[in-house]
Amino acid sequence: MSNKLIDLVNISKSYDGQLVLDELNLYIRENEFLTLLGPSGCGKTTTLRIIGGFETPNSGKVIFNGEDITHLPPNKRQINTVFQKYALFTHMSIAENIAFGLKIKGKSKQYISDKIKYALKLVNLDGFENRSPASLSGGQQQRIAIARAIVNEPKVLLLDEPLGALDLKLRQDMQYELIRLKNELGITFIYVTHDQEEALTMSDTIVVMNQGYIQQIGTPEDIYNEPENAFVADFIGDSNIIPGLMLEDKIVQIQGVSFPCVDIGFGHNRPVDVVIRPEDVELVSPETGTICGTVTHLIFKGVHYEMEVMAAGREWLVHSTHMFPVGTEVGIHVDPFNIQIMNKPESEDEEATVIEE
Amino acid sequence: MKNKRLLAGPYLFWAVSFVVIPLLMIFYYGMTTETGSFTWDNIARTAMPENLKALGIALLLAFVSTVICLLLAYPLAMILSRKNVNQSSFIVLIFILPMWMNFLLRTLAWQTLLEKTGVINSILNILHLPSLDIINTPYAIVLGMVYNFLPFMVLPIYNSLCKIDADIVSAARDLGANAFQTFIKITLPLTVPGIISGITMVFVPALTTFVISDLLGGGKILLIGNVIEQAFKQSSSWNVGSGLSLVLMIFIIASMAIVAKYDKDGEGTAF
Amino acid sequence: MIKKAAEKFYLALIFILLYAPILTLIVLSFNASRTRAKWGGATLHWYQELFKNEAIMSALYSTLLIALLSALIATFIGTAAAIGIQSMKRKFRTFYMGLTNIPMMNAEIVMGISLMLLFIAFRINLGFSTILIAHITFNIPYVILSVMPRLKQTNRHTYEAALDLGASPLYAFFKVIFPDILPGVLSGFMLAFTMSLDDFVITHFTKGPGIDTLSTKIYSEVRKGIKPEMYALSTLLFISVLLLLLLINFSPKDSSQKARKQTITRRSRALAFAFKRVIPTLLVLAVTAGGIYYSFQGQKRSKQKVIVYNWGEYLDPEVITMFEEETGIDVIYEEFETNEIMYPKVQSGAIAYDVVCPSDYMIQKMLDNGLLAEINFDNVPNLKNIGQRYMDKSREFDPENKYSVPYCWGTVGILYNKTMVDEPIDSWSILWDDKYRDNILMQDSVRDAFGVTLKYLGYSLNSTDLDELTEAMNLLIVQKPLVQAYVIDQVRDKMIGNEAAIGVIYSGEAIYTQNENPDLEYVIPKEGSNIWIDSWVIPKNAEHKENAEAFINFLCRPDIALMNFDYITYSTPNTAARELIEDEDIRNSKIAFPDDSELEHCETFHYLGDEADAVYMDLWNKVKSK
Repeated sequence: MSNKLIDLVNISKSYDGQLVLDELNLYIRENEFLTLLGPSGCGKTTTLRIIGGFETPNSGKVIFNGEDITHLPPNKRQINTVFQKYALFTHMSIAENIAFGLKIKGKSKQYISDKIKYALKLVNLDGFENRSPASLSGGQQQRIAIARAIVNEPKVLLLDEPLGALDLKLRQDMQYELIRLKNELGITFIYVTHDQEEALTMSDTIVVMNQGYIQQIGTPEDIYNEPENAFVADFIGDSNIIPGLMLEDKIVQIQGVSFPCVDIGFGHNRPVDVVIRPEDVELVSPETGTICGTVTHLIFKGVHYEMEVMAAGREWLVHSTHMFPVGTEVGIHVDPFNIQIMNKPESEDEEATVIEE
Repeated sequence: MKNKRLLAGPYLFWAVSFVVIPLLMIFYYGMTTETGSFTWDNIARTAMPENLKALGIALLLAFVSTVICLLLAYPLAMILSRKNVNQSSFIVLIFILPMWMNFLLRTLAWQTLLEKTGVINSILNILHLPSLDIINTPYAIVLGMVYNFLPFMVLPIYNSLCKIDADIVSAARDLGANAFQTFIKITLPLTVPGIISGITMVFVPALTTFVISDLLGGGKILLIGNVIEQAFKQSSSWNVGSGLSLVLMIFIIASMAIVAKYDKDGEGTAF
Repeated sequence: MIKKAAEKFYLALIFILLYAPILTLIVLSFNASRTRAKWGGATLHWYQELFKNEAIMSALYSTLLIALLSALIATFIGTAAAIGIQSMKRKFRTFYMGLTNIPMMNAEIVMGISLMLLFIAFRINLGFSTILIAHITFNIPYVILSVMPRLKQTNRHTYEAALDLGASPLYAFFKVIFPDILPGVLSGFMLAFTMSLDDFVITHFTKGPGIDTLSTKIYSEVRKGIKPEMYALSTLLFISVLLLLLLINFSPKDSSQKARKQTITRRSRALAFAFKRVIPTLLVLAVTAGGIYYSFQGQKRSKQKVIVYNWGEYLDPEVITMFEEETGIDVIYEEFETNEIMYPKVQSGAIAYDVVCPSDYMIQKMLDNGLLAEINFDNVPNLKNIGQRYMDKSREFDPENKYSVPYCWGTVGILYNKTMVDEPIDSWSILWDDKYRDNILMQDSVRDAFGVTLKYLGYSLNSTDLDELTEAMNLLIVQKPLVQAYVIDQVRDKMIGNEAAIGVIYSGEAIYTQNENPDLEYVIPKEGSNIWIDSWVIPKNAEHKENAEAFINFLCRPDIALMNFDYITYSTPNTAARELIEDEDIRNSKIAFPDDSELEHCETFHYLGDEADAVYMDLWNKVKSK
């Protein structure tokens, strides 16, 4: 990918003495689809609003194309936003909504009407010019909000949980639509969501945030497969997060049993968190397993069965295509490369917590 | 679920008995002579120069007060809507609390404040400033109207401002509008229901008041409200008074029609 | 930062505008002087007086009772209506909302008048119940408009869920819907209560005898000068509500950041609590206590009563108490501001007054229209105390002395401030002197204004000659730019406060104003003036005629007449009472008891007939609207 388009340097922001962002550093490259992912209250929307110019950080800088734009008002930035609840102007028609930014820039009538046609075509709503926003469905309103933003040819499009108000099927359709749009327009998208599936589906880069700190930056694969701490592991997909003891390099003790793994450099007898994805837990016969347990719950999920296994006083979440009825004695086996070892959090700020939505 | 509708029954009865029928009574009195025969005379009396003048002054003063109220109230409502103040305490402060001091006393207090040897002029005197000589003039009446009816303008505008999604304003800024353009193109049009409702809630009482002109106008300025009050309370010509009231109702009905047009969903109501 | 400062400045300005009059009233409540025009030092006297003043306390009680009852009833009807309207089809809903908007948008004066016409047409006695009905009528829309938005937000599914779980519709409503709309209901109630509390115009038109709310009480006092007790009462009401709010708003502050957020929620919850529970509870307690107190008082009252209709501030309240104690007759007392206001009320018969105190020409008019009953003078032996001179004067309007008993009399003259007027005044011409532009106070009533002008022109003040009247009108129009204000009894306060140099005033007020401001002097102009007599009469439809006669007789007792003279300072025709006046200066005062020579050119007003009255009114309106 190419060079940095936006660079956030040491951004801090607090409201009423409550710290929302603490010394945040992040850069976004041109043409990137970057997602800020985290529970509500993690600071992702504040970050977006600082980029959009709706908030000014208490300290730190926003660099855009090499220029400091920290104090530039939103109307002077080459950035447009698609708002969570669409924020369409209800007293204007669809065409007037889309034309709003262009009229302010003083574009010609012809240019504006061409742009409206183009934008409506792009979001598959040709012929909606004279309808009023109130007469559209949620999904349609969302498309208009996107159309209204992109006619201004921004360098960056900010999207603040744009699919949050839509139903599941529509959300999935819109995800593909957004990817298509991004590819057609060739601009940078910065996307805010708390939905990990959305983030994993669309992003080039995911930034996981919690309590004002960046927890991990990486590709969707990195984030899913190698979470750096228990918060990321827990927030992205289902996980078994188990306290363990790193006996030595490549050997971790879980619930009193030693498991071989591939991690090194944690030292001797260090307490650690062990992350094992449920689909990485293999159920075998009791004799061949590393530890033994009993199946306590069983649900058919379509693609796989979800089971809970009670082993040595602990529930293990297991996804498997093989079914083991409740009550079956099973052995648990995990391949060494599927065991992810994480340091225990050191400070309270890094404490992995999930805030209820 | 049908019986739920019956709950509105007592209200319908009440409204017909004490709102509709009394208005018809005014209509009846306004269109008849004292002996009960039909006449246009009472309404035609509006065209008499003195009544026409009272109506004209009332319209003028009500218009001026409404404009002043609007100009004062809008910035106030904007400041308050941005302040995140607790709505109920705000309403109490500007609206409910002063009402525990009687409306007549509050208006009368302006006399004490404005008189030639009153509080304000005493202060101006001490500061060696020219004195303020507006008591018993239309200016004092306008002041009284603005003072009494300002809350009725602030509340609906404040409510309609609060209803505007902050994101809508952000969106306009995002799309390139500066603060002034955002106000003209977004905020102002979206508060039109509140403004209209505020205007009528100030204009109608200002147009029809007789107390404020009585207390602050020194009896020198006769508004249409004074003429009607006199007709009922002093010269006991109920028919004439009713006739003039009918003319007044034309303006009231016009106001209601305007509100109905601009504020279909009752969004601009103050409460 | 500049913007913030400007915002703060603006807010401060608005709050000064809104609260300056309130502050003024609070300051006035501590003013030792009876008139608002003069600062007489600080005192708590009026606060003590307040609780002794039965008239004000009962007005307060009626005000609170009406506010509470009307708000409660309106809340019931309004909430039920809102629920009904919400479940209607759009067409009907629009109709109902339109109906609701009528009282909201309608002018108060039109609504007041329309209700008055209705009550009188259907012979409903004006009184407590009519005020209550009127207040309920204008309160219902406030409740509906407060509840409707809440109802719209209410989730219909929760109600259906409750039904699904086996709740009856009524139970489901109270358990599910009602808690949701409760804030709307309560704020509707509060709003209705406050609106009722502050209403004047509608009460003004729908009230009857013997009942006053604070508003109507104040309005009748406006002309005479507000009693300082009223300021004290308003201050108490205001301060107690304010304190209650402050108490709730400023719980002890926590310095730590985290705790702050909690305090805020605690505060707002406390505030909400106050509005939901504390204030209504306090009100209910107060009103119930008042009710018990007054019903206890009521038990002592006998069924005998007399309905008195008198000028404002025209009787020592102590006299009423004494009369009630001595005779066991209950006095229902109502006041009017002008003869013209009194007449239609008596004429319409909506209220059966037992004894009324009109002026000379009005007595003639009432007599001509057959509204008066002959007084049985066997029941009024104290008539002997009334000077023959006044009985003779009365023959001008009551030719056989059969219908009226003189109560007060006096002249109309000029009151002037010696420090502001250079030359001695002996003529009405001073009222047209450009030197005193904006320094002249003129009487705001037709007959007085025309009477003065006609006398100045050398005509009779009972002139019905259109040329003479037109001449007078033109002169009044010429005078208008010189006039500071047209007032009635406010001349008194304004002259005491040095607001004007010259005022046209009744002689009775002159004595009081001279006491308060020694710079003032009263004169009867040489062209002559109006000599007037206010007398007690008994309307034909009086239901307690004997009680009325007992009341008149009581007032004719010398000691009682003296009490009234001391209280109202208007000249008494009761010669026995005059003898009892201790202060020699007053007993021989030329103002209170002028010589016959001074009265040579003075006339009483006559009733000129409806047609002439209409001419006067038209001409006066022309003056006023110029």
